[in-house]
Amino acid sequence: MPASSADSLKPSAFIPVCTAASLLVGSTSLFFVFTCPWLAVTICPAVPPCCAILFLFVLANFTMATFMDAGVLPVAKGDEDKDDDFRAPLYKNVHVKGVQVRMKWCTSCHFYRPPRCSHCSVCDHCVEDFDHHCPWVNNCIGRRNYRYFFLFLLSLTFHMISVFTFGLIYILHYRDDLWKLHCTVTLVVISISGLFLIPVLGLTGFHLYLVSRGRTTNEQVTGKFQGGRNPFTRGCCDNLEYLVCSPISPKYTARPYKKTVIHVQPPFLRPVIDRQIPVKRTSTGAVEPSDIKQVKTPPPLPPKPDHGLLKHKLAAMNEMGHHTKSINPVSIPTVPQLRPVLEAISRGSSPIPPEQLLKMSEQQGNNKGPDLCSEFKESPVGGSEQGGLSVQPSLQTNSSLQLNSMTLNSRSLTLKQGIISSSIRVASHSSSKFSYDSIINTVDPQFLAQRGPPQASYRFMTLSTDGTVVQRPPPHTYNPVFRGANRQPPQPSLQGLTSRDPSSSFQGFSQRDHSPPFPRLMPRDLASQSITSQDLTPPVLARRDMTCQSVRDSLRDLGPQGLTPHMSAAACYDNFSKTMMASVHKRQEMEERDRMLHLQARSQMLYGPDVGIYDIPSRRSLPPDNIQPPACRGPTPPAYGSREFLMSTGIHGYGTRTSPLSSSSTLSLTRGPKTSSSPLQSSSSSLQGKDRPSSPTYHPSERQPQLLLSSTSTLPRIPSSSTSYTPPMPPIPLQSDPRSHSPLRGRTLGALK
Amino acid sequence: MATEFHNLQELRHSASLETKVFIQRDYTEGTVCRFQTKFPSELDNRIERTLLEETVKTLNSYYVEAEKIGGQSYLEGCLACATAYIIFLCMETRYEKVLRKISGYIQEQNEKIYAPRGLLLTDPIERGMRVVSFTVLSVQLEISIFEDQGSGTSSPSSSSMSSTGSAR
Repeated sequence: MPASSADSLKPSAFIPVCTAASLLVGSTSLFFVFTCPWLAVTICPAVPPCCAILFLFVLANFTMATFMDAGVLPVAKGDEDKDDDFRAPLYKNVHVKGVQVRMKWCTSCHFYRPPRCSHCSVCDHCVEDFDHHCPWVNNCIGRRNYRYFFLFLLSLTFHMISVFTFGLIYILHYRDDLWKLHCTVTLVVISISGLFLIPVLGLTGFHLYLVSRGRTTNEQVTGKFQGGRNPFTRGCCDNLEYLVCSPISPKYTARPYKKTVIHVQPPFLRPVIDRQIPVKRTSTGAVEPSDIKQVKTPPPLPPKPDHGLLKHKLAAMNEMGHHTKSINPVSIPTVPQLRPVLEAISRGSSPIPPEQLLKMSEQQGNNKGPDLCSEFKESPVGGSEQGGLSVQPSLQTNSSLQLNSMTLNSRSLTLKQGIISSSIRVASHSSSKFSYDSIINTVDPQFLAQRGPPQASYRFMTLSTDGTVVQRPPPHTYNPVFRGANRQPPQPSLQGLTSRDPSSSFQGFSQRDHSPPFPRLMPRDLASQSITSQDLTPPVLARRDMTCQSVRDSLRDLGPQGLTPHMSAAACYDNFSKTMMASVHKRQEMEERDRMLHLQARSQMLYGPDVGIYDIPSRRSLPPDNIQPPACRGPTPPAYGSREFLMSTGIHGYGTRTSPLSSSSTLSLTRGPKTSSSPLQSSSSSLQGKDRPSSPTYHPSERQPQLLLSSTSTLPRIPSSSTSYTPPMPPIPLQSDPRSHSPLRGRTLGALK
Repeated sequence: MATEFHNLQELRHSASLETKVFIQRDYTEGTVCRFQTKFPSELDNRIERTLLEETVKTLNSYYVEAEKIGGQSYLEGCLACATAYIIFLCMETRYEKVLRKISGYIQEQNEKIYAPRGLLLTDPIERGMRVVSFTVLSVQLEISIFEDQGSGTSSPSSSSMSSTGSAR
């Protein structure tokens, strides 16, 4: 704040200090010139020297009070501020000698003000043991210069008393010659000193009282310890002793910076601790400490909607291929952020305005996975990408929940952001119902990727998502999630999300984690992956694995009870009422259809540029056009079990190939118990129709839907407020989508294109 | 050999991927300068608890010594008053002397204990005595050190990469 910082430098700020200085010096000089000679002769020759010494003392203290640093605390560098300012609590409580003292966050200086510290608005800095800002010295009075200020007051009082007294004696002696120069001058001097003696005396007495009570002016004026006990007092005598005899505390600002030279050379020693979790394996270095802290933080259930965040993410998604850094690393897992959506859905209102969803659906083709992927990539300070590379081996080798601390850090960030972005994307496509479908979709590939084979399928899915809209089937419920993932790669999650209750999707998510269908999904993924694995480049894989890992880790963090990562997020929402789940379940079919339509549209759009990449599998059939609702939000999503469907699922989760992180994260997220994708797919397939023709690779997945259907049916549905985007979804038509039909595929592709 | 050394503070500033861990002030005894001896979890696998607690306790004792109200502080005050505080221009206060001792101690600790573990302890005075910060050195920083040195002790980037991998 340049304005406020310049307040003490403004010309007007110097008026009081100049006045005080001129009055002091001038009056005393006149006194010495006109009065002291007579005093030395008449009363005592020691009077003038004593007065002179006293005056010198006054001047010295005045100078120290004016020019000495009061104990200014330097502004904290940004690295101290781990949380965003707006998320940091305004007050922090500490116990000082048994008394609770509040430390307030200083927005200007970026730290929690220590006890007794206050921010001077005139000087625009925090001062330790802040007393007040004195205009007469144009300086803050704080820890370092309070002593000088007090002594100045004390000495000035004595000086003024002495000047007044001696001047009076002089005048009384020369009362007959009052109009002579020397008398007039002395008269003026004693009138000035007499006039200013009263306030100065009052101020001195006030500060004597403060010192005896151990308070600062600031505390006295604000009444901090009026009623309670002052923890900073040491007793009257000790307070005076502290005032006068304590060592001068050092200046914090503008210190001579002594450069230290230390040779740092790896390898670094490590304490001998049995570590289960490989730590610090990413190239981002020791990111893990703070990240682990992030990871370990249980997800608080957010009570308030985070519309801003959703909109923010939507906007981010709207940018094609942009590395939107809009997603800030959130220490709060995705679940909290999705909670407003859930709440909104449960209330029957759409958290995302339909217009936004419309816009999103229109931009589906443009918003490939890259949006999600970019978000994933960008959100973790670039570290996740590197970490992903290093993580990939771990992913391949680890079974499910191997926690890499480094990956945890970046992953959790990635996952959360990916979830958010995927959710947003889904929500944008659906009728603004923010659900876990997107999360599940996005997570799915990651979970898939966690295992060796799953990674392939994950890649497949991510690859398929390249150039396709990152549209995962809105995982509103257990079923829809998988359904969407399986069958509707490009289907805008909007469809699925529209009628889905996020809570149900969460629940479905959790259920999915536990459900056997997960493994069932795997075969299909495996089949798909065999086809697509060759398509992916290692870096992409690495990134996706990273995303998967991050998503997985984020999910892990989401679980408050320490459930498996993929389950953790859902576990938070297991508390949603069963009625909600039931209502969600009801809407699954409807949203299925919507989703498929959107997916198809998106896949068409997304497939356009990258169709060649995905033109490998034979079963790239997309859902038939009849799936598309009359509202026609988008092209028909690919047929269930088709490659396009799987790819579109990946698209939902990950966007383009530029977002491997997001893909992987979503995979891992949905994977949870390593079967996330399968339940996702199976549920989607079950919901959309079990008789979807599919290539042999998808047959197992077809069976899974049936199982999933039973599981999903158990999910209570939340009466979601269907939006205009929720056309009735005929399950049968979906099922009848010729997934493996080449003609359909071509048609679908064409539609997509 | 001196050329092989680098100003770690400069490197620290240039390293972009370092993590900072902070130990906050302990205000339970009032506004006297004390730092919490609670072990930060972030350093759990970087350094032994005892070492860190020892360092913080030593720092706390230094600060207690600096802020002690006793004979030396009396004399200092009287002398300052008597000379109209001109003495401050010539002489260093007791607190400043202890601060120099503290920075020497921190430097020694960094060299002996923390740098081998990839940590860097910063003097609290740089942050207004509010926190004791540990800079957890990242792999990137290590690599940069290696590359800069380029002589015997430094290994080529590849080896530093491998060492990085092993170190991590």
